[in-house]
Amino acid sequence: MWLVERLASFPAADPALIWSDRVLTYGELLERTRAWKLGELAAGTVVAIEGTFSPNTCSLLLALLERQAVIVPITPGQRMHRAEFEAIAEVERTYVFADDDTFTVENHARPVEHVLTRKLRQRGHAGLVIFSSGSSGAAKAVLHDFEALLEKFRTPRQKKTVLTFLLFDHIGGIDTLMNALSNGGTVVTTPSRDPEVVWSLVAKHRVHTLPTSPTFLNLVLLHEAWKRHDASSLQVIAYGTEPMPQTTLRRLAEVLPHVKCVQTYGLSELGVLRSRSRPDGSLFISFTHDGFETQIRDGVLWVRSPAAMLGYLNAPDLFDAEGWLNTQDAVEVEGEWLRVLGRVSDLINVGGQKVYPAEVEGVLMQLPNVADVAVYGEKNPLTGHFVAARVNLASPEPLDVFKKRLRAFCRDKLAAWKIPVRIELTDEQQFSARFKKTRVKPA
Amino acid sequence: MIERSAVVEIIHAAVKEVMDQAGLPPPTSLSDETVIVGPGAVLDSLAVVSLIVEVEQALEMKHDVTVTLASDKAMSAKNSPFRSVGVLADHVLETIKEGGVHG
Repeated sequence: MWLVERLASFPAADPALIWSDRVLTYGELLERTRAWKLGELAAGTVVAIEGTFSPNTCSLLLALLERQAVIVPITPGQRMHRAEFEAIAEVERTYVFADDDTFTVENHARPVEHVLTRKLRQRGHAGLVIFSSGSSGAAKAVLHDFEALLEKFRTPRQKKTVLTFLLFDHIGGIDTLMNALSNGGTVVTTPSRDPEVVWSLVAKHRVHTLPTSPTFLNLVLLHEAWKRHDASSLQVIAYGTEPMPQTTLRRLAEVLPHVKCVQTYGLSELGVLRSRSRPDGSLFISFTHDGFETQIRDGVLWVRSPAAMLGYLNAPDLFDAEGWLNTQDAVEVEGEWLRVLGRVSDLINVGGQKVYPAEVEGVLMQLPNVADVAVYGEKNPLTGHFVAARVNLASPEPLDVFKKRLRAFCRDKLAAWKIPVRIELTDEQQFSARFKKTRVKPA
Repeated sequence: MIERSAVVEIIHAAVKEVMDQAGLPPPTSLSDETVIVGPGAVLDSLAVVSLIVEVEQALEMKHDVTVTLASDKAMSAKNSPFRSVGVLADHVLETIKEGGVHG
């Protein structure tokens, strides 16, 4: 496996992984990778790893990659779904890691019958199964040819110290890990996604790159974590899991002027694609990823790429006959540039007029005293749907006073049908463990 | 039970609020006969949606009653329950009687 060979070419004393303040060097990482006793494990075996980024999970991942296993990463936060995930992915062995990095092994006697998994076995390639939490609720199991996914890391790039903000079972988390390791960089793991903790780790380990989400960046701005920790090492903030409010981007440029904010485009189904942002500081991007093609059909982005998933294990796939994948992301196009408006499934149709929550959220985030906001469509027999907003305030304010202020503020910034009709205040956080916005739709 | 006069008061306040939101001048006078939807209406359809939500929220906040005024049943009624202030007031009282949830 070229990746493991590449790791052996880096200086053995260089730090590969920082976990709970312990440094694991490249030498130690390789030693651990080789120490896994997988002797009897056949190529193509489906193996789940429940854990977070740690010396043992990362070395096991590499060992299984070499063994051409089909790897199913699961985080402890998804433990309640593990049995279901194991059944869908036809997992034959599960390694469960505890917080102290010790582990237990469970073997499951079950036949692997899924046609896609069998196809992958025939190819003789390692696999990766990512469970993607769809907006509809039920998780979809995305099967990748792991080796096709890793192909882009063959081109050597600069070595960086990267913080794994995105989780171990997330396509962006796996991308972060592989990006750092394939270039001899250092992976800094974090025990929590609290802005204070993340920023203290950035300062302590002189982190260069922070892949994260717009929601987390809003929290950082709100908590003013950058005031208490020296983030001068930070070079790049990459965000890509949801549309970025323009205001957040502008505010980041003000408080962290030395940091470049880079939008990436990632989907569980596609991996993380390389892109560049239009120099005007807008949200328009252009793809620079080799070997994949894009098409816009009816305002929706379609992609064709050898690194795309083989398919879903538990849902009809999204490919057309020519192998194009429907991303289900609505985009706006200006020449070579495009801007992601949001998931087609998040679209709110108000009497035939279309609204994407991200646009309204972007405006509401500029309103003073707004800490966070989730915009969603509410059903109504008159106009089909109307726009509703749940808002977290920074400090208490009566609802009727806030409503007046919000509507006055929106009047010259949003078309009438985009201005929230129902406005609610909430104290509950409006994002998931993955720091993705949860747009609650009342029944 | 909520008095009809209290409901009318809520509707009047909501109409003024929604017209203000829409940047329209405040109504010169409001009565049971003020037309909400249809010919000669003071509000467009989006504003009617806002009005309904406004009335629902006011009922919830001031009287602790949760109702859905724009149900499919209301929409398919032969005569629109939203056509005037007076008819809407009766519709609100009727909806509460039929099963508004006291929170």
